[in-house]
Amino acid sequence: MHKMRVAACLALLAASAGVRAANAGALEDGAERYRPYLIEGVASALEGARALRERAAAADLPGAKKAWLSARAGWERSEVFTAGFVPELDAQIDAWPNADSGFHAIEAKLFGAGNTDVAADATGLVEHLNDLHGKLKDITLTPQGLLDGTVRLAYEVGESKADGGESRISGTSLDDMRNNIAGIDFAYHTIFSTALNTVDGKLDEMVTNRIEQLEAIVATPDLRHVNIADLRQTSEELVIALQSASAKLGLQRPTLEAQAR
Amino acid sequence: MTLLHRRLAALLSGVIVLALLGRAVAFPVDGDKTVLPVATELNEDALDKPREVFQSERTGAKSYLVNLGDLAFNSPGLLGEVARQAGVSCGTCHVNGANNARFFMPKMSSRPGTFDTTGPLFNPKANNLAFDPVRIPSLRGARYLAPYGADGRFASLRDFVHNVITNEFAGPEPSPATLDAIVAYIHDVDFLPNPSLGPAGRLAGKITEAEHRGEALFAKPFPHDPALSCAGCHVPSSGFVDHQQHDVGSGGLFKTPTLRNADFNAPYFHDGRFDSYNQVVDYFDRTFQLDLSAQDKGDLVAYLTAVGDGVQPYERDGAGATLKEINDFSTVLATAIPAGDKDIVALAVDTIGRELRELTEQYPDRKNTSVSGGEQQRVLARNGLKELVLTLRRIEMAVAAGRNADAATELRNYRNLMAAAVPSLLASAEPWSLFNQDVHDRHYAALRQVMRSRHISR
Ligand code: HEC
Ligand code: HEC
Repeated sequence: MHKMRVAACLALLAASAGVRAANAGALEDGAERYRPYLIEGVASALEGARALRERAAAADLPGAKKAWLSARAGWERSEVFTAGFVPELDAQIDAWPNADSGFHAIEAKLFGAGNTDVAADATGLVEHLNDLHGKLKDITLTPQGLLDGTVRLAYEVGESKADGGESRISGTSLDDMRNNIAGIDFAYHTIFSTALNTVDGKLDEMVTNRIEQLEAIVATPDLRHVNIADLRQTSEELVIALQSASAKLGLQRPTLEAQAR
Repeated sequence: MTLLHRRLAALLSGVIVLALLGRAVAFPVDGDKTVLPVATELNEDALDKPREVFQSERTGAKSYLVNLGDLAFNSPGLLGEVARQAGVSCGTCHVNGANNARFFMPKMSSRPGTFDTTGPLFNPKANNLAFDPVRIPSLRGARYLAPYGADGRFASLRDFVHNVITNEFAGPEPSPATLDAIVAYIHDVDFLPNPSLGPAGRLAGKITEAEHRGEALFAKPFPHDPALSCAGCHVPSSGFVDHQQHDVGSGGLFKTPTLRNADFNAPYFHDGRFDSYNQVVDYFDRTFQLDLSAQDKGDLVAYLTAVGDGVQPYERDGAGATLKEINDFSTVLATAIPAGDKDIVALAVDTIGRELRELTEQYPDRKNTSVSGGEQQRVLARNGLKELVLTLRRIEMAVAAGRNADAATELRNYRNLMAAAVPSLLASAEPWSLFNQDVHDRHYAALRQVMRSRHISR
């Protein structure tokens, strides 16, 4: 009798260890499935940056603006990754308000001053993105790092950006938000959703539901129609759900700031 | 306390809603105007905030009702959609219950410190189609100052507040309890103490000759209208008012405004037309043919200045001041959670969470170019504040789901964080925060520079 109980316990333990291992495997597979999306996002940012450099050299202001917007979109979609894995680069490329390099420096010239005198900045941006792009196929994508990035971004999405936030000049804030949410959606469903569903279907449903809600909130014609209170509440509920998910997935509780671990 | 920059910047998106500016500008500067009036701090958090004195704190602690009122007063959720979206609350204009002399909104203000309450912005239905901004009054000592409104159109403070919410700002009908709470809060906001004022509104203590002469002149009948004197309307008393409306030639019937703490209430008159006591005294001299000599005028101004004084009118804004206010707000949760009062918990979580998010912005993240150093301290401060925001949200979710005990546990976590950990993280990060004057100036100079480049291109 006693022996049987021990055996049962051991079996249970083995089983649960198996779940965790399987889980970890599933998450790592998920992270790998995320890689092509990431590479594609950074590639499109890079392509935009190259076009930007070229259009600026040709003194084509509308063309340069268009290229900037496209580079920006690719970057924002990858923010789940950049915020978690390359925070230094993220800070450089996304520096504001009076950055001397990066997206916002170029933005101020193109959209603010209305000149195409951005050759040096565009070249710098291309170099940074090119560097990063080259590293992406070998970089280790840990599920923990991707969850951290997802959670940080989910929190940030709830920041009131009704005043235009960081991209006040080009007015891309709403697009930034949409691209951020698209990035969260993709990362969650590619990496975490299936694994979470097997351990806690309700929680998976809650995360999915909050992401959908966020998508609905920013599906407005313009920034001023975004319901700020709803946006904040939903973003916070999403973060909380993802924090609960971390335990169920055998991961550490995500921190809300890069470097805070 | 309100962090003005985001609110006011956001407010302009409100102006845009009505297409007043024609096109979307993301920076709060009127379409073709690049310069705001002097003394306007539209896009910048002021580092000094009016000090708030509560009557009840002199004898004990503020009540639940007063704290709830303070919370509602600072909650954009109380007002209608435009205000809510823009993050405007009562406290945006009446900062800490005083007046916001720096408030300026293109097309809604004629000069800093004024606002057209019957303009088109917040409630088109309340629009009287005239551009008639009025001075934003301080609410200090408002309980002594009935009737309400510059024209005294409401005898009851409660009715006035109800009208502000539902008419001027097109907000939803507030619950009677909320209305009671706001009125209790306003009743509790006291005048700043003034040691120069004795009983019955007489000057006391060390008084100069000029102040003495001014006090006598103030009580003297006007030469051409012996029924009138300054003191006949501004009756030396707890409020220096007579609760009446008069026509003093300024364009209609207006209530006698208080002279207590009035040193800090400029601009003066209902429409904020005067900047100084000198101008006001000149006006009365002209209008009522008082034949005042230069010395008389100086004496009256000296007297007004003595009466209008107050101890420590401003306090330095910092993490400490914000946390104190947030802690006062949070006391509401201790009552509302066990009662399972979902609405009040939601109001508290929304308002406190917003303040905490704004506080987080005072500790710039690594992307911000105007600060260097203290990166780890800033990260930890931001992280701590974000944890608080999420803890509050967990409270709200628990109460909404009827899990009051879970909410109570979370409230304990929240209080533990607030008791020591978070204040000390914020203190460590303070040198690199926007509460530091240098950092503050650099940050806003950088923002302005960037924004200016936008206007040059127009
Ligand atoms: C956009 C700025 C603004 C906001 C927001 C605002 N007020 Fe006012 N408030 C004013 C102005 C301007 C007046 C003067 C109106 C008048 O004289 O008719 C005023 C007057 C008052 C008065 C009358 C004071 C007196 O002595 O006559 C009270 C009380 C008051 N406000 C309370 C509130 C409350 C409560 C809220 C929020 C529900 C609020 N205000 C929101 C600008 C504002
Ligand atoms: C008939 C009543 C009456 C008399 C007499 C009178 N006042 Fe006033 N006072 C008012 C009213 C009403 C206003 C507000 C006018 C407005 O809002 O347009 C006012 C405004 C003021 C203000 C501006 C306060 C503020 O916050 O806007 C000051 C200061 C002042 N009076 C001082 C005086 C002095 C000094 C005298 C005597 C020389 C005087 N008043 C005589 C009724 C009176």
